Amino acid sequence: MFMKRQLPIAIAATIGFLTLFGWFVDEPVIKSFVDDDATQWFDILASFAMFLGALNLLKMQAIKIIKQQKGWQYAALAIVGFTFSFTAGFILLGSYNVEISQYDDPAKVATVLASEINLDEKSTENILIAMPEGDTYTIDTPYFTKKGADNVVEQINAAGGTANMRATEWGAHISTRGSLFNWMFRFIFTPLSATMFALLAFFVASASYRAFKIRNFEATLLLISGIIIMLGRVPIGGNISAWFILYIVVLALSAGVNTWFKNRTYTFAAVVGGLLAVTIAGFIMGWPVDQPAIFYLPVLQDWIYNNPNVAGARAIMIGIGLGIFATSIRYILGIEKSYIGE
Amino acid sequence: MEKFLDFIVRAGSLDRRYIFLVIALVVILPLFFPLGLPIRPTTSSQDVYNAVDKLEAGDKALISFEYGPSTKPEIHPMAVALLRHLFQKDVKVYITCLWPDGQFMAMEALEQVAVKQYKKTYGEDYVLLGYRPGAEAVIKGLVSNIRKVFTVDANGDFLDDIPMMVGVNQVADFDYLFSASAGYPGTVEWVQYAADPTGVTMSTGTTSIQVNEVMPYVQSGQIVGILGGMPGAAEYESLIGQAGIGTSGMDAQSVAHLVIVGFIIFGNISFFVERRRSKKY
Repeated sequence: MFMKRQLPIAIAATIGFLTLFGWFVDEPVIKSFVDDDATQWFDILASFAMFLGALNLLKMQAIKIIKQQKGWQYAALAIVGFTFSFTAGFILLGSYNVEISQYDDPAKVATVLASEINLDEKSTENILIAMPEGDTYTIDTPYFTKKGADNVVEQINAAGGTANMRATEWGAHISTRGSLFNWMFRFIFTPLSATMFALLAFFVASASYRAFKIRNFEATLLLISGIIIMLGRVPIGGNISAWFILYIVVLALSAGVNTWFKNRTYTFAAVVGGLLAVTIAGFIMGWPVDQPAIFYLPVLQDWIYNNPNVAGARAIMIGIGLGIFATSIRYILGIEKSYIGE
Repeated sequence: MEKFLDFIVRAGSLDRRYIFLVIALVVILPLFFPLGLPIRPTTSSQDVYNAVDKLEAGDKALISFEYGPSTKPEIHPMAVALLRHLFQKDVKVYITCLWPDGQFMAMEALEQVAVKQYKKTYGEDYVLLGYRPGAEAVIKGLVSNIRKVFTVDANGDFLDDIPMMVGVNQVADFDYLFSASAGYPGTVEWVQYAADPTGVTMSTGTTSIQVNEVMPYVQSGQIVGILGGMPGAAEYESLIGQAGIGTSGMDAQSVAHLVIVGFIIFGNISFFVERRRSKKY
């Protein structure tokens, strides 16, 4: 019981208090612990968490397959994908470089090299001749397999050159072109991930067509501000004249007059009077696209971003901050015990 | 008139595949036939530009890549534009990644800008520190001592063997900080754990949807300027005078937004006609 309950709570409370003191107490030992040691502990734990996460993923997907649960085929695909990534990252490293250090006859070596670097023999020969003495020439594209690189080395050596194969270092192979992992990331993960995200545009369009309706006052506010943001953020919004928006405002107000008074004369007067007033004002001011500024979409969207939006975002942030504070105190004092399964 | 209203009501329940088709067309066509809409930089993009422009040759900028392939169309163009501006000014660029896929994004951007365009030397003009797991802890570690978090760079070379790492020990040694962020860990964590405690000038580039969350920090002056999504990238490209993917993507995004707004308005007209009819009968 002590190992499962009291000890974890004691560890959490001690580390919690120490980390908290690090911000308020000017004591070098505590500061050093918080700034250096604790962060390194966290890094190490985070690395292990990745390992545990991978095991958990395999366990969950395997259970799905064994129990033939709904969508078990996707679980099988996830395991295949995981195995492939694991193999590419840890086993089939790839990325083997071929380096040429010496040659007897550049023309002979160039015959072999030309096809490997997609250049004609003369240009290849010139590259070799231009190589400073004691230097090496590395073929730009690394080889996927060791056998492929060895094969080229053998051919170059047979042509009177001195070539050797150099494998990219462990760790660096992940980000080096020519490695299986890098190939997988660029040609499988990147397009799949980008496609998934790009599909959002289609669903947003479809959903907004069906669900973005003026059902009440709040929905109307949301709709209008949404439209202003959508158009104001892109260049086309800057090309929509403030006067056009003003005309729309006049028509919307006239619709309001009609709803309120239910009188055709009043509505007609509002429409004609409003349109006339805007047109006269337009002629007087010379129809500038961005004037009056309060009806210019980029200005309007900027105002929405900087005022109502920031006010809302601040309120949420303060709320979250207070929530984090309260939860942290509960953890440090040992009141919150969900992390030990209670 | 009745037939027209019937049509509107029927169009209200349009098969969504037609909507998908229209969206696909309005996104693809402007990419082939650009409209060349003028791009007007916003104040927040201008602020980022001014902050970078103040840097002098030899100054040190720490750039953090926190995005992956899914958000690449929004963030990558601004990362590329920012690198162009920094290398143009001969600023030394240090890159770190809080997301594992950020390292691949950083490599791609560096190859395009540092290697091919500006012919910069690795280790002297720029360095890719790479990815470390740990989110806030990594940032806090960098603030305290870079070498405790990164002993080697992304190529496996020891930091002490890299010429431009001499005298660079912590975040406070940098002159500028930029977070190219698509979520957590990202901009907010950099402000809280690095920019605020050290006082290093920081700007950010985020996805459009994140701007809401980050805007309070921009208003309070904790972040100097923000590039918001693809429009932010296009604005930065126009400021440095080098059009890129951001600029070319803006035509497509503009038309797509206009069409979506059109859909919303048409959907509402259909909704009103239908509601009026149901009240009538």
